[in-house]
Amino acid sequence: MTSSSASARKALSKIACNRLQKELVEWQVNPPAGFKHKVTDNLQRWVIEVTGAPGTLYANETYQLQVDFPEHYPMEAPQVIFLHPAPMHPHIYSNGHICLDILYDSWSPAMTVSSICISILSMLSSSTVKQRPEDNDRYVKNCRNGRSPKETRWWFHDDKV
Amino acid sequence: MENKEAPLEDGEIKPMSVSMPDLDEWGNFGDDDIMQQQSAIQAEEAKKVPFIGDKEPLSSLEAEYQSGSPILLEKIKVLGEHYAAIRRTRGDGNCFFRSFMFSYLEHILEYQDQTEVDRIKAKVEKCSKTLQTLGYLEFTFEDFFALFLELLDCVIQGKETSISHEELVLRSRDQSESDYVVMFFRFVTSGEIQKRSEFFEPFIMGLSNTTVEQFCKSAVEPMGEESDHVHITALSDALGVPIRVVYLDRSSCDNGGVSVNHHDFIPVADDLPNASTCAETNTPYIRLLYRPGHYDILYPK
Repeated sequence: MTSSSASARKALSKIACNRLQKELVEWQVNPPAGFKHKVTDNLQRWVIEVTGAPGTLYANETYQLQVDFPEHYPMEAPQVIFLHPAPMHPHIYSNGHICLDILYDSWSPAMTVSSICISILSMLSSSTVKQRPEDNDRYVKNCRNGRSPKETRWWFHDDKV
Repeated sequence: MENKEAPLEDGEIKPMSVSMPDLDEWGNFGDDDIMQQQSAIQAEEAKKVPFIGDKEPLSSLEAEYQSGSPILLEKIKVLGEHYAAIRRTRGDGNCFFRSFMFSYLEHILEYQDQTEVDRIKAKVEKCSKTLQTLGYLEFTFEDFFALFLELLDCVIQGKETSISHEELVLRSRDQSESDYVVMFFRFVTSGEIQKRSEFFEPFIMGLSNTTVEQFCKSAVEPMGEESDHVHITALSDALGVPIRVVYLDRSSCDNGGVSVNHHDFIPVADDLPNASTCAETNTPYIRLLYRPGHYDILYPK
């Protein structure tokens, strides 16, 4: 997803705005371990720094997550991608798209930015090999026109990593 | 449940965790247009049936099977002995919750049962406590709870905010409002299942081979995940509202006769309302028609 198409998105609804403000407060009081969010005046896009957990393949490495919230958050899932360079991981494409069910079909309004972050860190931590998904090149080529990962029809059937 | 065609289709659980795209599948849809076309078809299909349809005579159900199974036509006749009308809901995976929402609020609107409103409000308060005890942050569910309570107040007449039956239909068809109430029920259901996890565990293991918590995260809380008897039992217990589900399927009786099975979900004993309208008869006023994979609302004669 390119930044241009994300910013063209509709403004947050009132209910989304309220909810995000509450999430922001909660984050400030109780940030998930391993994550830093530089608070800006842009409530609709959060850029979050993630540091690999000690003792894992990504220990001491730092990456950036970009979280874009749709008009009808939290009924709709946020769009979450890694900014360049994305970590080498069997479920993370070189364009930053992440194959993780809770970001798409299994999203629920019961989740929060914080719980997403914890899931992503857990996904990184359980990886045993630093490599791209096998179909990386084909997928990334397909996304060249700036397609959002939310428009991808994901198939989740590997639960080992 | 005595029914032979237990709602298996509803029990399907998507894989839980982080996964890889299927390589073969990728080859099939390299073109972005296919994706767009697919969602366009889905949207088109969805528009044909509103979230909550109009009340239709039962004969409309019969018309649907005119060239179909004789067993079903027979069963619809039997159904016609007790039921007069059907109200269809959209088959978007939320049909059980949506049917329950409308049926319940319509009942309150019709009977102006303030005692029941007070009773359920106390239950809702308990559900909120349950979620907090389970570790849910209040801000993740409070908006959904607030919207349901607001609608509940609106159907009681004589206030500035009161709404008519017509308005209730309209609001149930409004996506944002309707979905928020569906989500409220999903929270309530999830909370109840987790609160009584030792009770629900064997049923969940039978359906999906996942833990209770995983089941709630993947098959209760996300919108569009279909419901079966676990969800119905939990919602009925949590809110203390009995629910009748009438099964319309191709199964036939051993003696050759045709009958229509139903199952009453009666809230666990100590939670039964004392003064509510349903207490004297114990017959559920929420009546849903189940056809494999889908729930609609039924109206008695």
